[in-house]
Amino acid sequence: MKEDSNKSDTNGFTRRKFLRGAGITTAGSVLLNTGLLAADFHSAPETGIYMGPDAVTVQMQINGQMEHLTIEPRTTLATALRDHAGLTGTKVVCDRGSCSACTVWIDGKPVNSCMTLAIDVGGREVTTIEGLAPGGNLHPVQEAFIEHDASQCGYCTPGMIMTCAHLLKENPNPTLEDVKIATRGNLCRCGTYPHVFKATLAAADKMK
Amino acid sequence: MNNFSWYNAKSIEDALTQVNSTASNEIYRQTEKAAILKAGGTDLLDLMKEGLLQPKTIVNIRELPGLDKIEFSNNDGLRVGANSTLAEIAAHEDIRKHYIAFAQAAGDAATPQLRNMATIGGNIAQRTRCWYFRSYDHPCFRKGGDRCFAKNGENENHAILNNGSCVSVHASSVSTALMAYDARVVIVNSKNETKEIPIADFFVAPGEDPLRETILEADEIITHIRLAKPASGTKAAYIKQGARESHDWSIADVAVVLEMNGKTCKRAAIALGAASPVPLRSMRAEGALAGNQITHEIALEAATLAMERARPLAKNGYKVPLFINLIQEAILNAS
Amino acid sequence: MDTRKEKFPYGIPDHNLTEIEREIPADEPPAWPVNDQLQEVGKRRIRVDARAKVTGEAKYTSDIRLPGMLYAKILTAKVPHASIRNINTQEAEKLPGVHAVHILRNEDNSYPDVKYVGQPVAAVAADSLDIARQATRMIQVDYLEKPFVIDVEQAMKPEAPLVFDAPIARQADGGDVGVVHDGSKGQGNLRGPSTSSFFGGPRGDLEAGFSQADVIVEQTYRTQVQTHVPLETHGVVIDWKPEGMTVYASTQSTKDVRDELADYFDLPKSRVRVICEFMGGGFGAKHSTSPYGPVAAILSQKTGRPVWLMLERKEEHLMAGNRPNSIHYLKIGAKKDGMLTAIQQRSHGTAGVALGAGVGRVAQILYECPNFATEQYDVLTFAGPGAAWRAPGNVQGAFGVEQAIDELAEKLNLNPLAYRDKIDQSEVRKVLRQRGAKQFDWSRWKPAGSSTGTIRKGLGVAQSTWPRFVDLDSTVEVKIYRDGAVEVRSGVQDIGTGTKTIMAQIVAEEFGLKTADVIVRIGDTIFPDAPGSGGSKVTGSITPPTRNAAYKAKMELFKQIAQQWQTDATKLVASNGMILHKDDASKKVSLKEALQRMRTGQITASASRSDDYGGFAQPWGLAHGHLGSVQFAEVTVNTDTGMVKVDRIVAAHSCGRPINLTQIESQINGGVIQGVSYALYEDRVMDEATGHMMNPDVDRYQIAYSMEIPAIEPIIVEEYPALSSTDAYGIGEPANIATAAAVANAVYNAIGMRMYEIPITPARILKALNHLDQ
Repeated sequence: MKEDSNKSDTNGFTRRKFLRGAGITTAGSVLLNTGLLAADFHSAPETGIYMGPDAVTVQMQINGQMEHLTIEPRTTLATALRDHAGLTGTKVVCDRGSCSACTVWIDGKPVNSCMTLAIDVGGREVTTIEGLAPGGNLHPVQEAFIEHDASQCGYCTPGMIMTCAHLLKENPNPTLEDVKIATRGNLCRCGTYPHVFKATLAAADKMK
Repeated sequence: MNNFSWYNAKSIEDALTQVNSTASNEIYRQTEKAAILKAGGTDLLDLMKEGLLQPKTIVNIRELPGLDKIEFSNNDGLRVGANSTLAEIAAHEDIRKHYIAFAQAAGDAATPQLRNMATIGGNIAQRTRCWYFRSYDHPCFRKGGDRCFAKNGENENHAILNNGSCVSVHASSVSTALMAYDARVVIVNSKNETKEIPIADFFVAPGEDPLRETILEADEIITHIRLAKPASGTKAAYIKQGARESHDWSIADVAVVLEMNGKTCKRAAIALGAASPVPLRSMRAEGALAGNQITHEIALEAATLAMERARPLAKNGYKVPLFINLIQEAILNAS
Repeated sequence: MDTRKEKFPYGIPDHNLTEIEREIPADEPPAWPVNDQLQEVGKRRIRVDARAKVTGEAKYTSDIRLPGMLYAKILTAKVPHASIRNINTQEAEKLPGVHAVHILRNEDNSYPDVKYVGQPVAAVAADSLDIARQATRMIQVDYLEKPFVIDVEQAMKPEAPLVFDAPIARQADGGDVGVVHDGSKGQGNLRGPSTSSFFGGPRGDLEAGFSQADVIVEQTYRTQVQTHVPLETHGVVIDWKPEGMTVYASTQSTKDVRDELADYFDLPKSRVRVICEFMGGGFGAKHSTSPYGPVAAILSQKTGRPVWLMLERKEEHLMAGNRPNSIHYLKIGAKKDGMLTAIQQRSHGTAGVALGAGVGRVAQILYECPNFATEQYDVLTFAGPGAAWRAPGNVQGAFGVEQAIDELAEKLNLNPLAYRDKIDQSEVRKVLRQRGAKQFDWSRWKPAGSSTGTIRKGLGVAQSTWPRFVDLDSTVEVKIYRDGAVEVRSGVQDIGTGTKTIMAQIVAEEFGLKTADVIVRIGDTIFPDAPGSGGSKVTGSITPPTRNAAYKAKMELFKQIAQQWQTDATKLVASNGMILHKDDASKKVSLKEALQRMRTGQITASASRSDDYGGFAQPWGLAHGHLGSVQFAEVTVNTDTGMVKVDRIVAAHSCGRPINLTQIESQINGGVIQGVSYALYEDRVMDEATGHMMNPDVDRYQIAYSMEIPAIEPIIVEEYPALSSTDAYGIGEPANIATAAAVANAVYNAIGMRMYEIPITPARILKALNHLDQ
């Protein structure tokens, strides 16, 4: 899904969100400790700004909350979530984008947080397993995973659920083949796939 | 990864002012001031995590305006911004309609998550997946070393054609499709000069320069990929074979574009991936089809010709029958 | 010991179920009826920790974050064989954020010789993992490189470089049980042979056996090295304070890790507390924390801070264990009527620098055969150590044996399933074959080569056996509280198999509660000792103590209620949240109220389990009888591409009294999928010239993902051996043994060419079909 109106402007900030929100608090990845924070959003500078190599404080929209994280530019989003934001639900398994255990959504799309630099998130919104169903509720996919025993050791589960929940957002009537195709990047070493498939199809039914 | 400075470029010009090297230039080196480009970053982070690359500055071009557009018109054909993701390409209606092999190749690459991140510019510029190249501990030709470890080593995934000094295969299976469509790569440099290169000329074979895989220089950015509007009667097919279906690097992939006049093939383009260090067009196979009706026999003849010069290594002989079967199948699927 | 006599259900329902009288300890609970008369046991119940897993709230070892915690990273050897002349850590120590560097040393302070790529050399603790990683790259190691050998057959040659020039003992990793691996026998890198298991040694006379044979199959089968790839790597978080060491460990055995670290640092066991609440997979390799556990402890001691040390994916592949490969020679003779006359087995395999590369006991015990001998050799090579991996050895063994049986059947012109009916004495496998064949529709089977064209279909079957192991050092505590809580506690860990849930089910059954009402607190050595998760022994070891402790606590409560009702405690029953008098309907009280009336705030009962009713086959805890498994595979082979796809597996299994059908199915699915993955995809690729593993990732180390998953239809056959208060057994290992053989038999059935080596890759299929040399 393309959202041209939501694309970043030349500042790297999301203009729509800036206009909609209360000024800088909704802008992402803003450097807070250099005095450049007050950069004029309306007259875009011709050149960008250097950050790092030492730690910088960035703002990031995670699960609907604005977080201030002090990170080095090399910090991956997965590390930022796990070691800086206290959100350890997102798992790092291969650390190379091959297993999708670290799947989070950025602007609603599943990506590998281990292959994304936190500083690169910018004004986009990050959704993690902890924020999939806010307010202590469960997403229908989470409910179905419980019901159909779709986790054994459970270490792939957060990434698997983020993938399956995204599928149902895009395709409310998936076939078994669709579920398999959607999860083709998600490794489960315990071999829980049959129950993952079943749970996702059941969740789709329930969401109708 | 060692630490680095981060620079969010505001324009192409801005980016090219800041950048002073390429990822390929910096493999195995620790230049004091190396500043290199990052688009989707998936291959870059991989190289950095392996310690193969330690840039001092990363110039981020992922947010550059205009580079993520996909446009199609009957006059100009297809213009794909270099920052378009593989997922966007695979799902794009015009691409699916007019360039099905391209859409399929993009949709078959990597995992759904990576396809949401990886850009087409980065995809064609990525480095080989040869496991010796990717290992810090194997100083091979392509890293400035003195030998090819794969040639007499673990070479089951490696090249069967043009496998002289380096036997790696090119990593981009999307490029196989682009080769068959005679895509052109649009590159702009720091002097704001734009050039448009046939994709076949974009790649650099190890014999020419083992240290790089593309012609890209430090002051250049890929801005677009262009594909001409297919002639009427054009049909295409793409087949990728991995050792595993879920997601895998290609062990053999084939893109076929046929310009058909009724049952007769006017012109054929047959591109092979994972066969040689750079994606390859098989002129011999194409010649066998041109002017002929497509039958099982002629498809097999073309496929066999494509493999005529194959020189498999100790562990990849299976690729020869595999390619013959896939090329034949792709020709028949396209026709 | 006081005993009493008790009648138990015995046998297989809908087949030969009967009753048997056993003499049992007087304080153990009465016999349970078969599952369909129980409320919670034998039913489908939701995992008690499922919610924590689907919300991301579950804290695994890798998720532990303690105040002041440092992150550690191990530096591993880059060369396969060397002595280390010098290690320079100056640069690394200067890097800001680095708190400690530790170099591994021998007791005499020298550097240990490097024996494989990936061997730990040093470690760094720093403020972040990124800093620790950077620092390890700055440590300079000066290697004096030495010759090495990677290939098994090369390593066996007398002139090959020696891995060890002295006898070595099997490294205890707690996972394997079976063939004795004797590293003191043999010469050079060739150690052994091991010729016996706890089922005995050679039988009869091979020569005489083969002379009686009308048909003989003689073949060599080869399997690859498979690495475990648990999604959570091996690792610990260790907080070593003067008063004691707290260890969060991703382990299959809290008890073993505690003992190991206490032993290593000469601490009383009571000063080492090991916690494993959630654990991200182990499959056999996580019984020990050696060598990274002691490293983390030393770093914690040096810095006075908690230290987080999880292996990185590459290190996991290189140092944390693998299933050894096998070159497995089999010669099996049979008479015209099919009866086996002799089995000769000889195997060579490498567990790298460790021992344990056998092929298990399948050839020895799966079928009756009067003449049998095995010689299982370990070949030492300069590669990372093997470790137990779901049915160690037996998976490799079954791959050969169950193909050889198919080959015999073909020579005898018999349907492979009918042939197994003829030579297999196991009653439970007979039932598994019947029910499995019906579900699978085995009647579709046709001889090999019947399928033609590009897309060829094939059917295959294979079976296996697994002993019932019991760890008698298994204790459980049940606490009931005046506020209504019912809690079960044990040191046992749940590695994803569902141990927490089955313990809750058993306590719930005993108290007439729902499974979800029971609080389960396990995975902590402050609770009573319990078995490691290996050998499929947890269920058989922990469920009887769970029931026994629950029963004891319940009887204590009953005594108090009975006193109030002026009756006998044995007259009371707990059912549906109520305590009732069996003979007097007027006497009843809710469990909640009964608990409120307790004389003390809590009642705590602790129990272990007795020897099996009727005794063990071996006093250390080997039960009589076996767990059965028969798996049917349906495959498609594309002769153009060489791709094999497993379309469907029917997996028929027995595990005594099933406790949670859903969880058992999950484990069967997992065993089958790992078997498919082993048969078709996984392979540790070693570069013989440099000694490096070329695919230490989950990209080029290929594992089955979603598109590779067949339709799996588990069949669970209840079987009551009347051996304990629960009669329940594990399923982990049995689910994994037969799959690769069933797939290989099906591939042969599809293409008429037998694959003697796995993984069955497109390369191998195309090589065979196109008669390529290489």
